[in-house]
Amino acid sequence: MPVLVKNLEIVDDPWTLIDSSDKGDPVPGEGSILSFEHWTSRAHATTETCVRSLRSPGVGFWVDGEVDVERVCDHLDGASLVAVKFRAFADGRGLSLGVLLRSRCGFTGELRAFGDILPDLAQYLHRSGFNAFVVENHRAAEVAIASIQSITDHYQASALQPEPAFRRISARG
Amino acid sequence: MYQYQDFDQRFIDERVEQYREQTERYLRGELTDEQFLQLRLRNGLYVQRLAPMLRVAIPYGTLSSRQLRALAEISRRYDKGYGHLSTRQNMQFNWPELESVPDILGDLAKVQMHAIQTSGSCIRNVTTDQFAGVADDESVDARPYCEIIRQWSTQHPEFDWLPRKFKIALNGAASDRAAIQVHDIGIRVDRDTSGNVTFDFLVGGGLGRTPAIASVIRRGLPEPHLLTYLEAILRIYNRHGRRDNKYKARIKILVRAMTPEAFAERVDQEWAYLKDGPSTLTAAELDRVKACFAPPDYPDRDDQTALLAEQRLKSPDFNNWVRNNVSSHKVAGYAIATLSTKHPGVPSGDVSDAQMEAVADWADEFGFGEIRISHEQNFVLPDVAQDNLYALWQRASEMALATPNAGLLTDIVCCPGGDYCSLANAKSIPIAQAIQQRYDDYDYLHDLGPIDLNISGCMNACGHHHVGHIGILGVDKKGAEFYQVSLGGDAGDDASLGRIIGPSFARDDVPRVIEQILDVYVSRRIEEEPFLSCFRRIGVQPFKERVYAGAR
Ligand code: SF4
Repeated sequence: MPVLVKNLEIVDDPWTLIDSSDKGDPVPGEGSILSFEHWTSRAHATTETCVRSLRSPGVGFWVDGEVDVERVCDHLDGASLVAVKFRAFADGRGLSLGVLLRSRCGFTGELRAFGDILPDLAQYLHRSGFNAFVVENHRAAEVAIASIQSITDHYQASALQPEPAFRRISARG
Repeated sequence: MYQYQDFDQRFIDERVEQYREQTERYLRGELTDEQFLQLRLRNGLYVQRLAPMLRVAIPYGTLSSRQLRALAEISRRYDKGYGHLSTRQNMQFNWPELESVPDILGDLAKVQMHAIQTSGSCIRNVTTDQFAGVADDESVDARPYCEIIRQWSTQHPEFDWLPRKFKIALNGAASDRAAIQVHDIGIRVDRDTSGNVTFDFLVGGGLGRTPAIASVIRRGLPEPHLLTYLEAILRIYNRHGRRDNKYKARIKILVRAMTPEAFAERVDQEWAYLKDGPSTLTAAELDRVKACFAPPDYPDRDDQTALLAEQRLKSPDFNNWVRNNVSSHKVAGYAIATLSTKHPGVPSGDVSDAQMEAVADWADEFGFGEIRISHEQNFVLPDVAQDNLYALWQRASEMALATPNAGLLTDIVCCPGGDYCSLANAKSIPIAQAIQQRYDDYDYLHDLGPIDLNISGCMNACGHHHVGHIGILGVDKKGAEFYQVSLGGDAGDDASLGRIIGPSFARDDVPRVIEQILDVYVSRRIEEEPFLSCFRRIGVQPFKERVYAGAR
């Protein structure tokens, strides 16, 4: 059973991934993760996002790690979640996408990784702007959280830590 | 040298424990071979033909005597008492147990060393001129920038899962001893007219299957922007480099597909967002790192021209050694000594624990405790007082480290090849040994002058055969080991890629071919003309005719 980790905790997943073949549904329900094509073709039927209750998660969409960043940036309005699919864990394109969605597009909603997520990738995801990811099972989720916590501090600036170590630690003692 | 502070030490210690936990998970069966492969590669562990191979980083080729002794100890405790100097300023151990690698990394961490990112599709150990900081033709010591890049690239959140391996080299001297034109990124460090440090960026060079000379995409980048500009290049590559075919995944393919001009423009667009951002280097950080590489307090000495002349006259062997293995130092009275590992009968770059310890002792006795590793797989002692050269030479001779062949034909750069490497098409070490045995007359070797001979066991070109004046590449011909010969490559300032002379040869034939190539050179050279210049003047045809005479 896939397990969702959000903000370093194992949580129930309130979201549902809607396959792109469901394009017929003009007003996707709350908690739907649409394909990007479906999302962009909704003719901006975003009125439902104006009336969503505080408890409900809103709507979002998913993209492949290699998607064109500019296109995604242009369609973030109304999305409370963006999920990035990693087709292979060793494919780092999704990491750059995460960094850009946060730093350049100013996306502040849930940024989630799914697909082939090795628990050891979590530390990179976490520092590239992802605050959620889905792994294979409970054990993998625990390993992923531990691996993020196993390194206290890193050299570089990141989506998580905008200042590199050399600016933060004077004289680096 | 760079000295770890608490921050660096904590990181490296935690990284060792992280890897230990990964190894344990693998041994418990929680990681597949394919998953663990990616994790161990990022800690330098390959599984080779006979056993695992651990590649330890020697950042930009500089290490202390204490670190070298630690490597000797590791080679004794976990290996068979020797290590192998690679062509990229690393040391490889060929026989460690997979289970004991975390302990080896722990031992390395105690002396501020690691094996992080020495393999895998990530930013590799940054390399530079082995004479950095002491060369008399240097305008800027590149090592502080190498260290800054090492830190920046270590477990980078975004760039540890690139399309392919990524190699960065820096050079701050008039002659390019770091081969910056055949790296993914080459950085020429220089000063502008006001004395400020600047960088020229070359991108898309490389060896391997599709060798290419790098294109300059930016000149005169001011010092503080080093990391933001690198970030821009890496981001374009990470997003747009090909991932569908590993032979087309290096940045050189992307640069060629986009054209260097368009690539430069994309980088500039990206850089516009990053320029002057938080990763811009501060004066405090630059000062902090540069202070680690401040020159030692050289006691005042005079050049020992008369003494050396007398010693050289007395001993022809010493004379040969000084002529080839000693380079001029920027400080009067000092010299740089290259200790060749290319002794007949020993594979290029192989060094025993005893040799490592001896070199460490000499570094303390005759220098300031510092050692360099060269791309030519030799040790370098950077600060030898000239009046100690004779004593050093005598000791080095006893340890088979004084072969006077630096830069000559038998200073062969050779990858491990089919004896060790599972990717090999052919063995490379026996070729090197056959040539070294045949040419053991140093007078003849000196007469031939500087010749770079490089051997790779397959297309991956770890022996850099494309940039050898003479390059030899192992190829597979219907299951048999054959060798392709190329001429005219060079990794220096006027870099060029070798030209293949024709059909490949059987192993036994290679020494004959080399001899004929040398014959053509000797008969056609004008006065002191070096091999490479002669080749460039007369072209490949005369060599071809001679080597293939009677073949048709
Ligand atoms: S060139 Fe080929 S054979 Fe030689 S070490 Fe590299 S991969 Fe192995």
